[in-house]
Amino acid sequence: MTDNIYLPKIGRIVGIDEETQGARAIKTFKVEFPNSDGFEHNCGQCAMLSMFGKGESMISIASSPLVKEYKQFSIMKMGRVTSAFHAARVGDFIGIRGPYGNQFPLDDWKGRDLVFIGGGVGLAPIWPVIQTAVARREDFGKITVFYGARTSSNIMYEADFEKLKASVEVQLSVDAPEEGWPGYTGFVPANLMDKAPSPDNAIAITCGPPIMIKFVIQNLQALGFADEQIYTTIENKMKCGIGKCGRCNVGKDYVCVKGPVYSWAELKSLPQEY
Amino acid sequence: MEKILSQEKLREWVDTLDDCEVHAPAFADSVWNYARIEAGADIDLSHTNTIGSIKTFVFPQREVFFRFEKKDGVPLLTSTLPDPIPTVVFGVRPCDGRGMPRNDTVFNKEFEDPYYWARRDKLTLIGLACNQPHSPNCFCQSVGGSPHSEEGLDILMTDLGDRFHVKGITAKGVEIMERGRDAFDAVSDSDQADAGKIHETSRSYPQRPLGDLDAIPEALRENFDSPLWADMAQHCIGCGICTFLCPTCHCFDINDEVTSPTSGEGERVRTWDNCQFPDFTMHTSGHNPRGDLGSRLRQRVNHKFLYFVENHNTQQCTGCGRCITECPVGIDIVAVLERVSQ
Repeated sequence: MTDNIYLPKIGRIVGIDEETQGARAIKTFKVEFPNSDGFEHNCGQCAMLSMFGKGESMISIASSPLVKEYKQFSIMKMGRVTSAFHAARVGDFIGIRGPYGNQFPLDDWKGRDLVFIGGGVGLAPIWPVIQTAVARREDFGKITVFYGARTSSNIMYEADFEKLKASVEVQLSVDAPEEGWPGYTGFVPANLMDKAPSPDNAIAITCGPPIMIKFVIQNLQALGFADEQIYTTIENKMKCGIGKCGRCNVGKDYVCVKGPVYSWAELKSLPQEY
Repeated sequence: MEKILSQEKLREWVDTLDDCEVHAPAFADSVWNYARIEAGADIDLSHTNTIGSIKTFVFPQREVFFRFEKKDGVPLLTSTLPDPIPTVVFGVRPCDGRGMPRNDTVFNKEFEDPYYWARRDKLTLIGLACNQPHSPNCFCQSVGGSPHSEEGLDILMTDLGDRFHVKGITAKGVEIMERGRDAFDAVSDSDQADAGKIHETSRSYPQRPLGDLDAIPEALRENFDSPLWADMAQHCIGCGICTFLCPTCHCFDINDEVTSPTSGEGERVRTWDNCQFPDFTMHTSGHNPRGDLGSRLRQRVNHKFLYFVENHNTQQCTGCGRCITECPVGIDIVAVLERVSQ
């Protein structure tokens, strides 16, 4: 008999960052494993997080696999479980099982330019890729990070962005005009067109609200990016995380196992069930 | 191993299994369903097919994964992995038998499900061949099975009238036969001939046809966006009985049940769930990838006749016909496939 895959490990919240306020606030939780039974993960993978008594939710692992001491999760307050997370305090315990899903094929992208395009909480799934690419800076060509939020106070990982500017090009945007805002004003797809990154030997990685992803992909194609050069992640409701409970499928694929990372070439061939 | 068992000796054989949990079809509340029997005297194999399938023996309707409580402020989890005694099920119809290896595939693929296998490893399935179809909705032969299919069974019994032909298929099955060896007689050439004749006759009855099985996946692929689905699902009431009674439907939900809203104590529970329910796939945002009845009917049919074929090279349907017979509004998977294939 193998390990009981439904039995979560115990994690402890050691840090909480309030990223954004409002009805759908986002907080970033730093989680350690007090029983030293943590696990390794790859860029793009997720974990099933528990608040005992409330249930489980599948959440992207937002920290880099290179960080071994803790894992980080950025969670938007949406439903029962995520609201329980938002009510949690430093020192509280959670359940965690995983990691689940596939990964961004970062090793295949050696020597290429990387263009990241994130919006809102959609920065979380691609954040570990950005962090890992920066840590292996010499492996890649030019790295550009586009990120947009509704307002400047909704920008996630603000302090980290400052550090990031030392080694990559950062292009921030806010949706509506703000006094004193130094970055771009307008939606993320428009900012992308404005800066027009070259598709030559480049890979584009995007995640954000579905409507943003749709226009980002259209614009990437207009810029000359081929379907194989575009990567994104998808999400569906999940319960088991291990391809059995039957609900997260897109066609024949269970997203929890075969996803969440897809190239646009792969995603295009699947039915639009996400 | 092949043996002959007289009708009278069947009870004797069952009584040799006194350290096992023995289940057999029982007629109650106007339907046949599986029930635990305490002694051989209780066994009755005159059933048609049971209303519920044998999946319940490995995948119960409600199952506790673990209990959680707080000890000194730290969550304490206690696994409730079952450790059942050996369970023997009599009277399994071959369509249900064929369902089991399909379920094994799901619960074993990449990630082994310990709750399923704790029960599965202790389960012995004794099949009973169908001498004739039990229902006008039987279509086992149209999905690659037969009324005397051995697939998934440990033993296959065939009713020869005054006696049973009993064939041990797996080592587990042979062992169960060995335990009752005094009840069995040697099989003669004429017994073999009788069993063969009954099997042959059982295959000759007309069944609901599905046409060319190999052509169905392409027809489903082509019709993914077809308005046919919405049309065929117009009268579906979304009750989900089709999936609950299905021997291969395995979708489930996982929820926390608490002793009180503030106790921090409770159980994490798996229950059967259903692709026909709107909230099965509804995101917390309200977005629903399968938000209408048509897309949910398509999911049930595609899962069985397209996705499972693509992933596992076989249909996830064994033609038992329960979903047709028990549908309160007459949705008929054979008719659906026929329309999509036209």
